Amino acid sequence: MNWLGAGIDGPLVVVRAIHFAATAIITGTLIFRTLVAEAVSASARSAATIVRTQTVRVAWICLGISAASGMMWLLLEAASMSGFSLGKSMTADVLSTVVNETQFGTVAQIRFALAIILAGCLAYDRFPLARGLALATSLGLIAALAWTGHAGSTEGELGVLHLAADIFHLFAAAIWMGGLVSLVLLLSAAGRDETDAGLSFAGAATRRFSAMGTVIVVVVFATGIVNAWILVGSWHALIVTGYGRLLILKLALFAIMLLIAAANRFWLAPRLALPSDNELQLMVLRRLACNSMIEVALALMIFAIVGLLGTLHPAIHFL
Amino acid sequence: MYRSSLSGIIPLLVLLATNDATAHAFLDHAEPRVGNKVAAAPRQVTIWFTQKLEPAFSTITVTNSAGERVDTGKTRVSGDQMSISLRSGGAGTYHVTWRVLSVDTHTTDGNFTFQVGP
Repeated sequence: MNWLGAGIDGPLVVVRAIHFAATAIITGTLIFRTLVAEAVSASARSAATIVRTQTVRVAWICLGISAASGMMWLLLEAASMSGFSLGKSMTADVLSTVVNETQFGTVAQIRFALAIILAGCLAYDRFPLARGLALATSLGLIAALAWTGHAGSTEGELGVLHLAADIFHLFAAAIWMGGLVSLVLLLSAAGRDETDAGLSFAGAATRRFSAMGTVIVVVVFATGIVNAWILVGSWHALIVTGYGRLLILKLALFAIMLLIAAANRFWLAPRLALPSDNELQLMVLRRLACNSMIEVALALMIFAIVGLLGTLHPAIHFL
Repeated sequence: MYRSSLSGIIPLLVLLATNDATAHAFLDHAEPRVGNKVAAAPRQVTIWFTQKLEPAFSTITVTNSAGERVDTGKTRVSGDQMSISLRSGGAGTYHVTWRVLSVDTHTTDGNFTFQVGP
């Protein structure tokens, strides 16, 4: 399906965006639970328990969305690769060729196996070993996406650099996106808890996630520069091509997210640590949750752009 | 410390400065060359692309001036190179049509001609 007469494969873009976002949230929520929620949970057992339960629930939901969108992605790729319509490409012959004889198919098989292992780990989440394995598997699930796109096709030493940059870009984006979803849930749980311990838990978790945010931003920025240099190549291509302009839009959305994150870190989060009445603290908590939800919405827009960028000819071709 | 940091950064900068990466396979060059004239009909047509190809979905067809297929129908793919053998043919304009799938899942296609004759 050609959107806007611009050679945009609409269904493929939407499915890719949903799949990338769902996979990122799985990884990000599991990392948030390990590095943030569990690290500061000693102060508020009830809120921490709620967060743990919600993490598993979010991971299950996103795994379901990821599996469904992944299946749809495979069918759309089969149609695109074979040159047939979606209906005609759904034959055992075409699908088996795509799955068994293409790099995309090999990656899909590996990711399908990882998704099965992850489902098993989530089912036995009460065991520490299962939680550790779930985290490792989710990292594999998001990292493998690098081999389905432009990074998976760059050859030679530059290809290794491109893949490494793309994998770390995906890791950082996932930690931010999934972490924000978890933070919203955590702040809501702490808000409902309304105890001093709950508020202290929310404050500590927010400050810890904000501190992680600095590392995430550095990684996103550095790996983004490498990716942009390989796929765009020049300031001219960045400005005059559709691919480059989309990348500028992505950067603009990223900049807005950074501003909101900075406000959370340097203005709102310190206020949660100040001694004050619960009413004021709850207000700050609600503001933090609201800001984080706006960031989630912006991140979803970025994933929509990522879904589109991966289907376009990179700007470097138009130099 | 400064020297060791620099020695790590320089190869990276060189790698980026000599960036000739591509994504999506485009025709790099072909044998017989695009638009060229050769004295005798070639035994095969080989095309090099800018990217690694997926053999399962990459094909070449070659037709003569009369529009008849002169290729043997079996495309061979190795890395970024694709070729097809030709049956013996006479002078005239040969049309080469290609459709390739690169490993990043993108399909590209195109065509070119070459001449056979004195």
